[in-house]
Amino acid sequence: MNEILRLTDISKTFPGVRALQGISFDLEEGEVHCLCGENGAGKSTLIKILSGAYQPDEGGQILFDGRPVQLTPHMAQQMGIQTIYQEHIVFETLSIVENIFTGAEIQKGIFLDKTEMRRRTVEVLDYLKSTLTPDMKMGELSSGGQKTVEIAKGLIFRRRVIILDEPTSAFSAAEIDHLLQIIETVKKSGIGIIYISHHLEEVFKIADRVTVLRDGRKVSEYARSELTKDRLIKDMVGRDPSTFYKRERVPIGDVLFEARGVWGNGARNVSFTLRRGEILGIAGMVGSGRSELMNVLFGSAPLDRGEIRIKGRVSRHATPRHSIRDRMCFITEDRQNTGLFLPQTIASNVISANLVNLRRFFMPPAADVRTADGFVQTLNIKTRDSRTRVLNLSGGNQQKVVLAKWFNTNGEIFIFDEPTRGIDVGSKQEIYQIMVDLLKQGKAIIMVSSDMPEVISMSDRVLVMKDGEVTAELGSDQVSEENILMHSIGDKAI
Amino acid sequence: MSSEPLAAARPSARLSPFKRWENFTVFSIFVGFIVIIVGLQLILTGGSKFPTFISPVNLLNILQQVGVPGIISVGMTVVMISGGIDLSVGMLASLVSIIVASGISVWHIGTVAAITVGVLSAVVLETLLGLIISRAKVEPFIITLGGMITFQGIALLLSNSREVIMQGELDFFKSNLIEGAKDPVSHLNLIIPPYVILFFLVAVVAGIALNRTKYGRRIYAVGTNPEAAYLAGINVKNMRLSVYVIIGFLVGIGAVMLLARINTGIITLGQGLEIDTIAMVVIGGTALRGGKGNILGTIIGVFFLGSIGNAMNMLRLPSEVQFVAKGLVVIIAVSAGYVSTRVSEILSRRSERAA
Repeated sequence: MNEILRLTDISKTFPGVRALQGISFDLEEGEVHCLCGENGAGKSTLIKILSGAYQPDEGGQILFDGRPVQLTPHMAQQMGIQTIYQEHIVFETLSIVENIFTGAEIQKGIFLDKTEMRRRTVEVLDYLKSTLTPDMKMGELSSGGQKTVEIAKGLIFRRRVIILDEPTSAFSAAEIDHLLQIIETVKKSGIGIIYISHHLEEVFKIADRVTVLRDGRKVSEYARSELTKDRLIKDMVGRDPSTFYKRERVPIGDVLFEARGVWGNGARNVSFTLRRGEILGIAGMVGSGRSELMNVLFGSAPLDRGEIRIKGRVSRHATPRHSIRDRMCFITEDRQNTGLFLPQTIASNVISANLVNLRRFFMPPAADVRTADGFVQTLNIKTRDSRTRVLNLSGGNQQKVVLAKWFNTNGEIFIFDEPTRGIDVGSKQEIYQIMVDLLKQGKAIIMVSSDMPEVISMSDRVLVMKDGEVTAELGSDQVSEENILMHSIGDKAI
Repeated sequence: MSSEPLAAARPSARLSPFKRWENFTVFSIFVGFIVIIVGLQLILTGGSKFPTFISPVNLLNILQQVGVPGIISVGMTVVMISGGIDLSVGMLASLVSIIVASGISVWHIGTVAAITVGVLSAVVLETLLGLIISRAKVEPFIITLGGMITFQGIALLLSNSREVIMQGELDFFKSNLIEGAKDPVSHLNLIIPPYVILFFLVAVVAGIALNRTKYGRRIYAVGTNPEAAYLAGINVKNMRLSVYVIIGFLVGIGAVMLLARINTGIITLGQGLEIDTIAMVVIGGTALRGGKGNILGTIIGVFFLGSIGNAMNMLRLPSEVQFVAKGLVVIIAVSAGYVSTRVSEILSRRSERAA
């Protein structure tokens, strides 16, 4: 088989972070090469280098068909590297044919050659043994259908390399099988496939080779025949725990919050308790339904079945309004879009969530500023004053404004969804300390995190989720990288 | 990071006036406009006469012309800050004028009852639009466009496509509150009718509501980021509904005042009112995407747009020119607002980075 792509000694440094270090990787025609690793191991960075979105550091080399190249998004496309990301960027109201050919239309004179475009689409869909028809609207397709169209596009334009990033994250079991069959077919046409998945069972089914990354380094490479599950997991874990943040422990108190048989928004039969002074970590791979569950717990997504008890009393839990009155706080994953009013001042942001609890009608702006100034001081938010607009703050300071917004409601039950994503190391430590201070005040925290050291060092207990279900509850003596990973990527069949 | 104390000590005097006062840009353009008109008048008369454009009688004249659009602009400001828009206000005003005039001259239900029915219909109709917009999550632009056409139809049906003439039953609303006062320059009578006072009253109440109440905080929150507002416990749907109830009430009141001035309920009464009020609001710096704007800006916008036509008259320019001038003012004011925000953002980023 011919080699298409060879990367040697590729590194990528971001300010303060070494995302990739000395990676070597190669891909042959007609093979499926899987990339495995935990969240944050460097898989996404590597893909972005291959698609030209990131430029690697000086020193490495990328060979395409044996010739050295510098990959820009344009070059990557020219050479036939197609990346299919987890999130679809599609024209929902347009048909499959139109989606495939937008930007690369076939013309007859100045008119579109619709017959030809249609013919080619049908040809490829038939080849893939797909049941899709060319006139279906993209928005009506399932996630699996949309992936099929993307792959069909790769075949039509004779791509050499197709990169699939977590393709099955919103798939049913049947869709997964269908996609894997399609990949087998595509392989035969000589296209090289880079496949990234958290689901080991998929990897075992289709991989010809597997490369494991950890903390930005390549740990191992296996041929299909050498693969075992234990080996893979062992390679994926293995950070030195002595480098983790050392957290102060706080005496654990009464039960504050309880979920009983909670279903809804993808969560399936989740039960747990949360006590005062405790951090309950929620681990699992990206797409395992953790944030979705948090939305149900906070009342911002419907609770289909089950009940939520706060201090022993069943909570009505219909909307965030009710939850805030029940003294819950939700520090969302995506602070810019769901946590903050970016163009508004720090003061306006800080008072926003507490409006529910306020009885008074008149609110002099000066009083808002005084309230916010207090938080600027205690949380050490770096700004000129609290009349500064939030969009001018750094990520860490924005996150502190989100915290101030919730502290101002005087909440007791905190949901932290990815509390330190996109935050520099210094601010991270500050936020950990703030979390511990909350525990000392007898409050309780549910913390979703994809950052393994964070989960291990901060949590008193850890729930591991997979496909919307809790697959394990680990006490502090059982919390280890290996255990968490085992339960978050284990086989679907029990 | 080590230079943090310096950053804290950075004098706020270094803030540009654009940043210290949001309305600075449009205010300076407006002042510039007045200076140009006055200057032109002085040149044309060789400086021999007091410039009539800024004579008290003319200023009060402008006030009378902008009073009613002003009242509705205040409502439009609230709607647009919440992220909505209302294209139906003009035709709704026409409809209300026909309802009230018919109530008085055709159905003979009495003046007070007619006014009440008129204002209530405006509130009810806008509430219906608001319910659809907030519950069905459809574009307010389209729904209120539909409302505009529907209201026009209802108004034409009610009036049999004719005008409804009254006998001056609403004359109180255009009475002069300062009877007998004279302009020291031209010795003409000075006139302030009640609806001018009402405009200021409405503006002050709305200004306070937006700036100093819980309701105002929620409106800005919903307009800035509805999703974050929902997660902060704000009832986004009811907020979106409330702004249409408010504008319905203000259109109702405004329509009665318009009717008082003209004495005739007619479909043309509110024609183009939606364009004028939206223009006034955007000149005042309120963003179409919501979350940004204030009443003071709208007041400037109201006076600015209202004085353009008047100034053209003073300069004896043909009335057609005022459309060109109005249009240019909208374009200049809004793009200047954008330019100045961009500039101040870049400056503040730079100073923060330097910190």
